Amino acid sequence: MATPEAVAEKKELAGINANYEEKFGFHDPESGYAYKAPKGLSREVVESISEYKDEPQWMRDFRLKALEYFESRPTPNWGGNLGQIDFENIHYFVRASDKNSRDWSEVPDDIKNTFDRLGIPEAERKFLSGVGAQYESEVVYHQVNEKLEAQGVIFTDMDTALREHEDLVRQYWATVIPANDNKLAALNSAVWSGGSFVYVPAGVKVEMPLQAYFRINTENMGQFERTLIIAEEGSDVHYIEGCTAPVYSSDSLHSAVVEIVAKPSSRIRYTTVQNWSQNVFNLVTKRAIAEEKATMEWVDCNLGSKLTMKYPSIYLLGPEAHGEILSIAFAGEGQHQDAGGKIIHAAPRTSSSIFSKSISKDGGRSTYRGLLEVADGASESRSKVVCDALLLDEDSRSDTYPTIRIGENDADVGHEATVSKIGDEQIFYLQSHGLDEEEASKMIVNGFIEPVTKELPMEYAVELNRLIELQMEGSIG
Amino acid sequence: MRLVEHGGLKIGVFNCDGTLYAIEDRCSHDDGPLAEGEFSAEACTVECPRHGSLFDLTTGRPKTLPAYSPVRTFPTAVVDDTIILEV
Repeated sequence: MATPEAVAEKKELAGINANYEEKFGFHDPESGYAYKAPKGLSREVVESISEYKDEPQWMRDFRLKALEYFESRPTPNWGGNLGQIDFENIHYFVRASDKNSRDWSEVPDDIKNTFDRLGIPEAERKFLSGVGAQYESEVVYHQVNEKLEAQGVIFTDMDTALREHEDLVRQYWATVIPANDNKLAALNSAVWSGGSFVYVPAGVKVEMPLQAYFRINTENMGQFERTLIIAEEGSDVHYIEGCTAPVYSSDSLHSAVVEIVAKPSSRIRYTTVQNWSQNVFNLVTKRAIAEEKATMEWVDCNLGSKLTMKYPSIYLLGPEAHGEILSIAFAGEGQHQDAGGKIIHAAPRTSSSIFSKSISKDGGRSTYRGLLEVADGASESRSKVVCDALLLDEDSRSDTYPTIRIGENDADVGHEATVSKIGDEQIFYLQSHGLDEEEASKMIVNGFIEPVTKELPMEYAVELNRLIELQMEGSIG
Repeated sequence: MRLVEHGGLKIGVFNCDGTLYAIEDRCSHDDGPLAEGEFSAEACTVECPRHGSLFDLTTGRPKTLPAYSPVRTFPTAVVDDTIILEV
């Protein structure tokens, strides 16, 4: 006898018959927009962004220097085909609304309706400690639980943080990912806008997750949010981000920079459910520092986008720090998910694990690209890397590029990789239990990603399963 | 900034408002040529031109990632208008 929860979930899953275009791929009119920069990147565009935001001189200088770095660095020729991106055919800054509200009723109707359709206000009411909603280049809504604010937790958009907590922002800004780290980080540093700033004081445990939702609406739009999370000693926080965009025939670009600082004995979990439409290039730099006995976890789910290149990394800088990366990539027709993770053990007795799961179908391509490094002096460190790839048909492709560097003799490092296909006998077995072929296939895929979905809050696990089922529709026969 | 060589070792010598500091011309992250990076006499730092790590010239320690290990530093002295590096 099925439990009421199982019946409810099954009912919810059975109701999935809309495609991405209907559910997330709609777009709103741009009639009420406050400002839209002309296409193309130049010193003038960068200066105008800084001027619009009325930034301090040091930030303006930082942006202009970053633009020089961007212009002088070659486009990377590894990973996906970045030669397809026309950097001159992008709007680098689009301000949809003049104000950032703490009340949904004050958000302009079109934008509010979008977030209603995406279920954001409902999620906030049900299970979040705070939420930020970014629409185009800037955050239009932000709210955080009053009790957390009273404890000194700061959760706000990055533009507001720069105005209201400038010293704190400046202390950590670009220390984890400098502007010249790579070409896309330089681009973000030059034209960044929006993103989240989270500061958790020592000893404060944020019980419910904080969430940010990113939405691109305009065609040929570039979204360049910048997120900085600092967890002081002994604190604990879970941050979740989600993202979608309309379906257009021409491309958009999303290039974020996310910097994380986990102080001694703190714990940070950063969960991403990336579901950009298939005309979005998603090129993101994410990096965390974990100090002594701190724990940093990336849970990274990549379902959407045309090309994703993203390798969340963790630098274990203090003794006994721990890092975990859980990565799911789903590559369907026309998609290339070049994902993975990097962990650098730079202190003794540090430990880590990387679990990567990829699913490729209909000619989609998924790549695991990872680095595991045990530096000189990181004695008695332990790590395990597991990469599993599931291919659903002959046309799809999976590649694994693991790099492991070991500088200590007593390191304990394991690496496992598997590539598998859904076997006829597995399908036959499930069919013998009354499932049809498509249901059987979905069940196998859900079982394959279960180690990751079980780490997500329940609402997101259901959503991820739903999204994957959606992607699986019609994949059999 | 002056770049000097001794027995295959390249060393950058920097003048931070009157005090001299010498560090190996090799970033601990990816061997980038530090002496070619942007030098701030006021902050007494140099930024690796390859990936942007910022180094404190007084200690050789990185102030930003991606470098996490210090670069070698060398004691300096000025004797009769001659700069002496202890290698």
